[in-house]
Amino acid sequence: QASSSAPVPQSKNVILVSHRQKGNPLLKHIRNARWTFADIVPDYVVGQSSCALYISIRYHLLHPDYLYYRIRELQKNFRLRVILCHIDVEDVVKPLHEITRTALLHECTLLCGWSMEECGRYLETIKVYENKPADSIREHMDNDYLSRLTHALTSVRHVNKTDVLTLGSSFGSLSRIMDASMEELARCPGIGERKVKRLYDTFHEPFKRVT
Amino acid sequence: MVSFEEQVVADLVEDPNGGLVVLSSGLPLASIAAGLLLHLKQQEEQGGCILLLSAPDPLKALIRRRLLGLVDLHDVAPDLPAQQRASLYSSGQCAALFLSPRALAADLLTSRLHPSRVRALVLFSAHRSSDTSSDAFIARLLRSRHLLPVYAFSDRPHAMVSGFAKAERAMKSLYVRRLHLWPRFHVLVAADLERAPPDVVDVRVPMTPPMRGIQAAVLATMDACLKELRRTNKVDVDDLTVDKGLFKSFDEIVRRQLDPIWHTLGKKTKQLVADLRTLRKLLDYLVRYDAVTYLKYLDTLRVSEGVRSVWILADSSHKIFELAKRRVYQVVRADGTKISSDIKGTPTKKRKTTHNSTNNKGKETVYEDSTTDKYGIRNANADPGVVLEEVLEEAPKWKVLLELLQEIAEERMKGDGENAQYEDRNDESGTVLVTCKDERSCLHLQECIAKGPHKVMREEWEKYLLGKAELHGLRKNNKKKSQQPKGFGVLDGEVQMGPSDISGPVSISKLETNALLAAASEIRTFTKEAGIKDDSNVTCSKRGSKGKGKRKLKKTTANREASNRNKNRYGENDVDQGTDLEAQGQSGRTDEQADTDAFKVSADDAFSSASTAVDGCNYSSAFGELANGKLPPVQFYAVDSEQHVLDVWEPSVIIVYHPDVTFVREIEVYKAENPSRKLKVYFLFYEDSTEVQKYESSIRRENEAFESLIRQKSLMMIPVDQVDGRCIGPTLANDQEPLLSQNSITRKAGGRKAPDKEMQVIVDMREFMSSLPNVLHQKGIQIVPVTLEVGDYVLSPLICVERKSIADLFQSFASGRLYNQVETMVRYYKIPVLLIEFSQDKSFSFQSASEIGDDVSPTNIISKLSLLVLHFPRLRIVWSRSLHATADIFISLKTNQDEPDENKAMRVGVPSEDGTVENDVRAENYNTSAIEFLRRLPGVTDSNYRAIMDGCSSLAELALLPVERLAELMGSQKGARTLKEFLDAKCPTML
Repeated sequence: QASSSAPVPQSKNVILVSHRQKGNPLLKHIRNARWTFADIVPDYVVGQSSCALYISIRYHLLHPDYLYYRIRELQKNFRLRVILCHIDVEDVVKPLHEITRTALLHECTLLCGWSMEECGRYLETIKVYENKPADSIREHMDNDYLSRLTHALTSVRHVNKTDVLTLGSSFGSLSRIMDASMEELARCPGIGERKVKRLYDTFHEPFKRVT
Repeated sequence: MVSFEEQVVADLVEDPNGGLVVLSSGLPLASIAAGLLLHLKQQEEQGGCILLLSAPDPLKALIRRRLLGLVDLHDVAPDLPAQQRASLYSSGQCAALFLSPRALAADLLTSRLHPSRVRALVLFSAHRSSDTSSDAFIARLLRSRHLLPVYAFSDRPHAMVSGFAKAERAMKSLYVRRLHLWPRFHVLVAADLERAPPDVVDVRVPMTPPMRGIQAAVLATMDACLKELRRTNKVDVDDLTVDKGLFKSFDEIVRRQLDPIWHTLGKKTKQLVADLRTLRKLLDYLVRYDAVTYLKYLDTLRVSEGVRSVWILADSSHKIFELAKRRVYQVVRADGTKISSDIKGTPTKKRKTTHNSTNNKGKETVYEDSTTDKYGIRNANADPGVVLEEVLEEAPKWKVLLELLQEIAEERMKGDGENAQYEDRNDESGTVLVTCKDERSCLHLQECIAKGPHKVMREEWEKYLLGKAELHGLRKNNKKKSQQPKGFGVLDGEVQMGPSDISGPVSISKLETNALLAAASEIRTFTKEAGIKDDSNVTCSKRGSKGKGKRKLKKTTANREASNRNKNRYGENDVDQGTDLEAQGQSGRTDEQADTDAFKVSADDAFSSASTAVDGCNYSSAFGELANGKLPPVQFYAVDSEQHVLDVWEPSVIIVYHPDVTFVREIEVYKAENPSRKLKVYFLFYEDSTEVQKYESSIRRENEAFESLIRQKSLMMIPVDQVDGRCIGPTLANDQEPLLSQNSITRKAGGRKAPDKEMQVIVDMREFMSSLPNVLHQKGIQIVPVTLEVGDYVLSPLICVERKSIADLFQSFASGRLYNQVETMVRYYKIPVLLIEFSQDKSFSFQSASEIGDDVSPTNIISKLSLLVLHFPRLRIVWSRSLHATADIFISLKTNQDEPDENKAMRVGVPSEDGTVENDVRAENYNTSAIEFLRRLPGVTDSNYRAIMDGCSSLAELALLPVERLAELMGSQKGARTLKEFLDAKCPTML
């Protein structure tokens, strides 16, 4: 599975693994994504703009400065910089505190795993979910027309469900609502001056304000 | 007020720092508290209010009643607006306020209430105090500014000894030095309560053999489970005894031992713990529920527990089910022998009833039956089918209760005649109070007295059968099994027997189900018929309910007392005069028919039922008298409702139906308070039951708890301030300075501690439910409570923290709340932090190794967290082992950061009038509300919304774009069509 001598990242769908990680038992547990060794700065490149550094607490206790130097090497090339921390000691509070602090101050996201399986799974998942929308962790919404309409329109502050019904029945369709003039909006019962302005601005102000 | 209560108060107020009082449960906490308040009121040299924390509602009411309006009492609801709270604090010279700790903590921190305005703090659940509890937080907030007394109470001695040196630690955290112990066996208490003790009659009721059998079986199963649990080597063996297993606290013991390693436990161990709880419930319900309800509960258990649980498969649990069934009904062959015994011997006969449409067949059997005997027991039938014989065992206590009531009534009658002139009649004719464990049993007993036990059992049984039939019908329909609609014509006597040549193996359970269904359909038919045919029949069954019950009984014994029976019936009909002639005639007819039927009962069976019948007659007579208004007025009281009714109803006789130590003490106190009033108490115990065992061991447990507390008291180490002799409070010795700040300080000035200025953390009001604000305050951080729209804690102008305990994390991932919270945090703060806080006493991990699985599953917490991280790369995650670790991390994160501004933090995320949101980094350059709207439209995804924004300037313009252009922008035909269709869809009018 591991073709160790791949000079360049040849495919998008592969986790790139630094040569430094050779011999890390974690690699055995990456099974849901392909991986290959490559010459890279971080320990793992798990997507277009995501990378990960691996550290075990035991190692950190021996080399407290290691993490800091590794982060400094990364520079700013990645949007998501994960520090994957393997918790392999009992007395965890102090070392974890230090790692947390380092990660936070150097703009890295800390993820903790309690076993090699768990650590490996994080890498796999980040790779597999690289382009997945966040739907599964967002609020669920019913799929019927009215709930979708409500969902969209209530994003405008202070617009409530009654207003949605009012707007819908007076204009007939969402595109008509979006195109409505201030006067037309104001004619709807229950929609006061401020709501009219807020709705109108939402629909008619340009997405990007010209500076 | 009894004299020992005065002593409690006097001892307590002796020390100006206050003290901790531990009472036996049931001793009058309310009147002691009232006494304390009155005492404080009398010393009116300094003003200020008295704060009463976390009193449960019944206690509040009781204290109020005890005070008789002598002290101003206000109940401050937690949702009362802050201004009104403030005015309450400042009003009143010596007002006592009931408060929730959450609101009080916030008010103290914001100085709405200045500590100097408080005269004393009274706590009612000291067993919950620890150095991280909100009680302790408030005590510290108050005591740090103003030396006021803290009076803490607890009436749960066993809770005070759970855990290491709990009492000592609670006292330290509440800043009190004195521990006052008032067990029931205290000399003063005992003397007071035993001066004029109530008249006690202990009635031991034998359990029926099946009940005893069930109890033995449950205990055996419990023992087996415990042995199994011991075998896992995960728990301390000493604590695991069946005796302890009878109490709720047993779960706590086990959980406390297992929690730290809970995730590493196998499924089986977890199941064992759950099973023990179920079994304890079964024991409890055995003496509380009637036979039918108990069986119903078991049925539900069998369905819901099913394959998972261990106990249900054990040998002895089979016995539980069998016996529970035996208490309600038996399946009997037509010749009277039990089906289970001859099932192997005569397979041909079984077949007969269960061929082809089994359901129908069963019905027919009974229909035939019902022509002869509509009301009751089909214990015999000429048809060689399977018949259900109803047993409907009544709880033995019912009978005793009715007898007792009758006896009381008789005594009163005599008393009335003899000494009505001496005794004040109030005493003699006072109410009879029957106390049960719960509301349910109260209602049941009430019905028993009103309708007679038989009728009650009968109704339960009918309900049970109908429920069964309904369930079965559903299943049948689902299977689409066609079933010819046999009308009720069979009732008229035209019964066709199916051919008996179809063979096939049939299980007992199937036969049983059929018999049950048959009985159910019969009941349904009967009610229907009664409704149509004869209205008076219904009235009869209502008014003359006991007559009906008796009729049934007679039928069981018909063969023995056939001649007596008629006489009997007439007598009984005399009693219920409401029964009209027609109904009477009808019942007579049925009786006669039953007669002929009943003769076929095997002698054996008849004998056993005869004995029940005798009991039944007793009931009816007691009950007949009741109908004539001869029974004393009876009140029911559920101990669980904690209403403290003794003072209100002033009963002269109390029948303790379910013995409960706390309530017994209440009776004692009530009697001691009213020594002149006559009081007779009957205890109803089941002989040799776990009920007795539980009662006795709860007393033993409490005594042990007190002995342990007495020992602890002699060894206690309470640190005292040398100067003014007050308690110093919890030691903060275990606080470690975070390494980095420690270093920096050493470099600066030789280990000089304490930062120059006080650190500040802004905390959302809602977070005061948790202990973190308390711990932060302990570490010397100033807490600023405000209502935050975004985040839970604001550490600096840049850092905002959303705190999640593990349970919270899973839950808010599931609801989608976390996504929204993180989204807003990321929008308004430069360093948004998600704090995942584990609990100190639980294991430090998400899941056990077995839960990880082989594939990336979207429901796993790892997947959800990864997804969150992918979508919010700027989100920082802090993993904290415990509350204290969190506090340390907060402190270290705050070094080199500015202090947060509370006004700014409050305004974050709250839009101002013109709709723009302050601090929103994007708001200056983008129309955020339009973007949010756009992203919520169907077809628009995270990957294409930017392209849409580039392609058209505003939403209004987007609404007019043709679908082709949209497809171009969005890069997909399908998405474009979805969007366009949604935009142009005709809005349904709902108005």
